[in-house]
Amino acid sequence: MTAHPRNDIAVSLRQVVVRGERFTLGPLNVEMPRGLVTAIVGPNGSGKSTLFRLLMQLEPYREGEAELLGEPVRPETDESVKLRIGYLAELPHAYEDSLTAEEKARFAAKWYPGWDWDRYRKLLRSFDADGTAKLRKLSKGMRRKVELAIAMAHNPELLLLDEPSSGLDPFAWKTMLSELGRYMEQGDRTLVIASHITEEVRRLADCILFLHRGKSLGFYEKDALFDGWRSIVLASQEPDAQAKLARAPGLQGLTESAPGIYRLETDLPEEAEAYGRSAGCQVMTVRRMELEEILDCLIRKEEARR
Amino acid sequence: MWIPIQIDENRPEPLYHQIETQLRGLILGEELAEGTLLPSIRELAVALKCSVITIRRVYQDLESEGLLRTRQGTGTFVAGVDAVVREGHRHERVVEAFEKAVETGLQLHCTPQEMESILRDVIARRTAGRKGEADDRASEE
Repeated sequence: MTAHPRNDIAVSLRQVVVRGERFTLGPLNVEMPRGLVTAIVGPNGSGKSTLFRLLMQLEPYREGEAELLGEPVRPETDESVKLRIGYLAELPHAYEDSLTAEEKARFAAKWYPGWDWDRYRKLLRSFDADGTAKLRKLSKGMRRKVELAIAMAHNPELLLLDEPSSGLDPFAWKTMLSELGRYMEQGDRTLVIASHITEEVRRLADCILFLHRGKSLGFYEKDALFDGWRSIVLASQEPDAQAKLARAPGLQGLTESAPGIYRLETDLPEEAEAYGRSAGCQVMTVRRMELEEILDCLIRKEEARR
Repeated sequence: MWIPIQIDENRPEPLYHQIETQLRGLILGEELAEGTLLPSIRELAVALKCSVITIRRVYQDLESEGLLRTRQGTGTFVAGVDAVVREGHRHERVVEAFEKAVETGLQLHCTPQEMESILRDVIARRTAGRKGEADDRASEE
């Protein structure tokens, strides 16, 4: 049972597992909607890059089923669906070091039927990037910009960006956001972006997938998440206040931040507030939560279950 | 195009509700004239740092209320609003503001007589101020 018809899903994973020597990704069950931006958020080593590599058929998996743009993908299946995808890897490829951006772009131009030199040059200009130097000679941020231009120049149906902003200065970062906004403006394009940067997720994302130690901590619609979660500070002198609050509706986290002062995180804020009052607590403040705080709660909850 | 919508992170109302209420107010208050082309769903989402899912919902709601209309391929426009609807909205907004004030009064244990006398004082003070300003302007001319 799915909430969307198939052609509304850009990336679908069912029970997908990638087993490495020290790290296992999955089992993952997730559906990323077409036409939307999904941000993948998680600490270092949570499996974000492995997930991208899996989608690009660079990571063998034997369990589960993955579909991209409605086509099944397995490491051994034909790679035609990749022509409809743009991918920016987390790290640049060393074997491309001696190429210039122009040379790399010429390879890409042969490979992708949708390649558009005009679009490529516009992107380079917008990023203020130089296409003539060898990639090895470029600064980290400059190389990121030319690789991003190459990944976007064929106007792919699906854009997979693995921490695209790493190394970008604030100006380049803003340009990137507006170029990605323009790309999404077409309406039927899909962006999947791994990000550490809260502001990037706030500005760009429609949906968020949280990853931790190779497991999904949930797939959320961004606004529903930020609307729903609240951090409530309560005061009580009762000795059993903490035990009572631990049963609050929608409880996601609870800490005693000072004697008699409790911080409660919940995804049912109104019910939790009423419950707190009925448990004899005074409600001091109620506020929305930041992305990191939500991630932190989800991780602590997951760790407690292990 | 820039639209003066401000999201208050501290309000308990969900984002779509805040955006919808303000956009409705701008249309019914005629700050956005009939025929104005609104930003695309993605543009407004980026500007307000919210999801396109939220903006789509707002546009759809206001379209079904008859305040917006979407022309395929061109975008979403402000529709012509009936004067009766506009008057109804004006009335509604004022009633809402009074309800809030009365609620505060009740919470702080004001009697109805107290509140009525406060209201009369406020009206007297405010209208006197306005009248004063108008008189000033008149004397300058």
